Amino acid sequence: MSKQRHNPKIAVTLSIVPGLGQLYNRHFLKGATFLLLTVAFVVSFYQFLNIGYWGLLTLGEIPRLDDSRVLLAQGIISLIITGFVITFYVLNLINAYKEAVKIQQGRKRDNLQKSFRDGWDKSFPYVLVGPGLFLLIFVVVFPLLYMILLAFTDYNLYNSPPKNLLNWVGFENFISLVTVPIWRDTFFSVFSWTIIWTLVATTFQIALALILAIFVNDPRIKFKKFIRTVLILPWAVPAFVTILIFAALFNNEFGAINNDILGPLFNQTIPWMTDPFWSKIALIGIQIWVGFPFVFAIFTGVLQSISKEWYEAAEVDGASSWQKFKSITFPQVMFATAPILIMQYAGNFNNFNIIYLFNQGGPAVRGQNAGGTDILISWVYNLTFETQNYNMAAAISIIIGLIISGFAFYQFRRTRSFKEEGEM
Amino acid sequence: MLSKKYLSVGVLLLVFSILLSACGPQREVTQNEVTQGEPEKPEELTIWAWEDTKSAFQNIGDKYTEKTGIKVNVVAAENADISLDAPAGRGPDLFYETHDRIGDAYLQGLAAEIKLTDEQLKGYQKSALEAFTIDGKLLGIPSSVETIALFYNKELVPEAPQTIEEINEIAEKLTNADQNEFGFLNITSDFYPTFPFLTAAGGNVFGKNDQGEYDTNEIGLASDEVVEGAEIIQSWHENGYIPESLTYDVMNGLFRDGKVGAIISGPWGIPDFEKGLGDNLGIAPLPTYKGKHLQSFLGVKGFAVSEYSESKYWATDLGLFMTNAVNSKSLFEEVKRLPARDDVDVENELYQGIQEQLQHAKPTPNIPAMAQVWEPMGDALVFITQGEDPKEVLKEAVAAIKEQISLLGGNN
Repeated sequence: MSKQRHNPKIAVTLSIVPGLGQLYNRHFLKGATFLLLTVAFVVSFYQFLNIGYWGLLTLGEIPRLDDSRVLLAQGIISLIITGFVITFYVLNLINAYKEAVKIQQGRKRDNLQKSFRDGWDKSFPYVLVGPGLFLLIFVVVFPLLYMILLAFTDYNLYNSPPKNLLNWVGFENFISLVTVPIWRDTFFSVFSWTIIWTLVATTFQIALALILAIFVNDPRIKFKKFIRTVLILPWAVPAFVTILIFAALFNNEFGAINNDILGPLFNQTIPWMTDPFWSKIALIGIQIWVGFPFVFAIFTGVLQSISKEWYEAAEVDGASSWQKFKSITFPQVMFATAPILIMQYAGNFNNFNIIYLFNQGGPAVRGQNAGGTDILISWVYNLTFETQNYNMAAAISIIIGLIISGFAFYQFRRTRSFKEEGEM
Repeated sequence: MLSKKYLSVGVLLLVFSILLSACGPQREVTQNEVTQGEPEKPEELTIWAWEDTKSAFQNIGDKYTEKTGIKVNVVAAENADISLDAPAGRGPDLFYETHDRIGDAYLQGLAAEIKLTDEQLKGYQKSALEAFTIDGKLLGIPSSVETIALFYNKELVPEAPQTIEEINEIAEKLTNADQNEFGFLNITSDFYPTFPFLTAAGGNVFGKNDQGEYDTNEIGLASDEVVEGAEIIQSWHENGYIPESLTYDVMNGLFRDGKVGAIISGPWGIPDFEKGLGDNLGIAPLPTYKGKHLQSFLGVKGFAVSEYSESKYWATDLGLFMTNAVNSKSLFEEVKRLPARDDVDVENELYQGIQEQLQHAKPTPNIPAMAQVWEPMGDALVFITQGEDPKEVLKEAVAAIKEQISLLGGNN
């Protein structure tokens, strides 16, 4: 067929009302369906979106009648729905354009059956992913957006709906976090301990795992399977049980560590629960205990996959065992496991369980409003459930999220092993 | 390919048209009409209670149904959900709540003011009513009261100690820490059971202004009288009467096993201790100091009327019925809740010790700011028991409490 006088631009312009462009392309069934869907959407969702956006902008106008929390939720759902709609809208524009180009170039139109089949083949992956994605958006993205928006409101105990309306306050909460003395002092002391805790506890658990994995992997060691099984055991016990048992063991007066070990042997006891320094030591120790088996298991797997020939070649060259470790074992292990290790760091940064279960972030420290071992996440928990500072808790949560995601993302991009799997 | 500019213009147009049309709901604010006399009876009333009292309340509710024909549903629910459920029309008519949480409910506009005639108020303990009053408004109908008392083991301590000095003597005589035997134990890291001793010579949490409202700027926990009390508590640790990191589990376990002369506990502990000690369990009011009775915190539980109830008149009527003399007594017989009334006698020897102490108890402050007192005071008590200077520690604690209260955002 020859070129047609069929203008793609007209098709796109008409498609500003979805369906018209398709009709212009003489895809009557498709056009009719698009039009019908558009009308149905506008009719059924107009009121919902109207209230949703109004609520998002104003957070309500009449106390008691308007509940800011509900309006905020409806606003976010409206945003999500709008996102869906824009996606389909853009697809419709693109579709109108592409089909118009095809007609312009005089290609024969596919018959209905074939176009359906092609469409089904193309969209099959999306059909599979769709339901999961839809759930994810409402189970994960929606609460996340809610929390992020709360950080910009004045939602606290003395300004709670339904009696009061919430207001947008911009970055005020973040500014108070670094300017109001008690917030600032607590924030920085908690933040610094969180960093120390993350680095020290995780590094030690990885180091211990590495040492043990290398020893157990040594050809001279007998009963490998048995030793490995024993070393994996701390992982087999649920972590919270382990932590609670340790909390009992570390009790100053009644715990076995002071009563049956330190007391009889060294004739002195350590205030594990009441001195911040010793509490931190105990926590790091427990975390090493709980955390090393997992890393140990991974390292063991990696070590077994390192080719023996390399070591043999190194021995021929007269390398010491330290040199072999430094130049073969360590790089190989790190190369293969870096992403997992990074996630270990990220996990410990937010390790709420151990901090909360050991002694609720205690002991008390004079002059700040978080406990001596509180990390950011357990402090957020206290702010939410003890003092109902929802706005500040949300603001700190955003900071936590940014740190974790920034750190993880940067490291993943940097890790060669990740890059080899394909560009992001 | 389609130019990006073209696309973005189309999308922007769409978004703007949506935003422009978001003009909000059209409504008019209507005023509720005030009805005179007895309004129409609702078909049913819903009470939100807790699991442990649900069936006892349902029994009383069934009596109410017989009397008035209104069906009563008692549901075990979380009061924290009221703030979302009530505006959505799924809330209760009445909810069961402790008096120190009523301030929260009031701030959120969930608890309605209850207007009662003098006739209706008769029989309720004054302090219990006071506990449910904020800004001069009554927000709850008291149902039961509780406070702490001295629990003692008659085998080790035949006569209940009358004064703090006698408590110290018992502690001196019976304590043998290596054998886990103690004369007197109290959780000194918890402000609640330690408050009476801390304020033995005087002091209070919040002062009151001329209108009788709590004044959060006036915290009376660092005065010389309180320091005197703190020194008593400190001496228990210096003399080794009370081990440093004592927990409730350990204390209750040791007392139940008959290894402790006396402890400070409340009615919630009675069933467990009776199992362990049987007839040897005795309960006495707290001792005196310089001739003055120690003041413990009074806790009151009661019924609040939901602001969102469609028949507040009948909800109030049901609340009064739930807490009248006859039903208060049956509640005690069923779940051992001490009535918040003057005109009911429980005739139970164990609980009489607690009832005696109730006369010297004053309500825990019911304003939300009180929630900020527990932790700094608990921390301060830990420092005091570790031997730090009480005056200094208490001053710091008061400063911390003030800071925490201002952090709540109550000043904006």
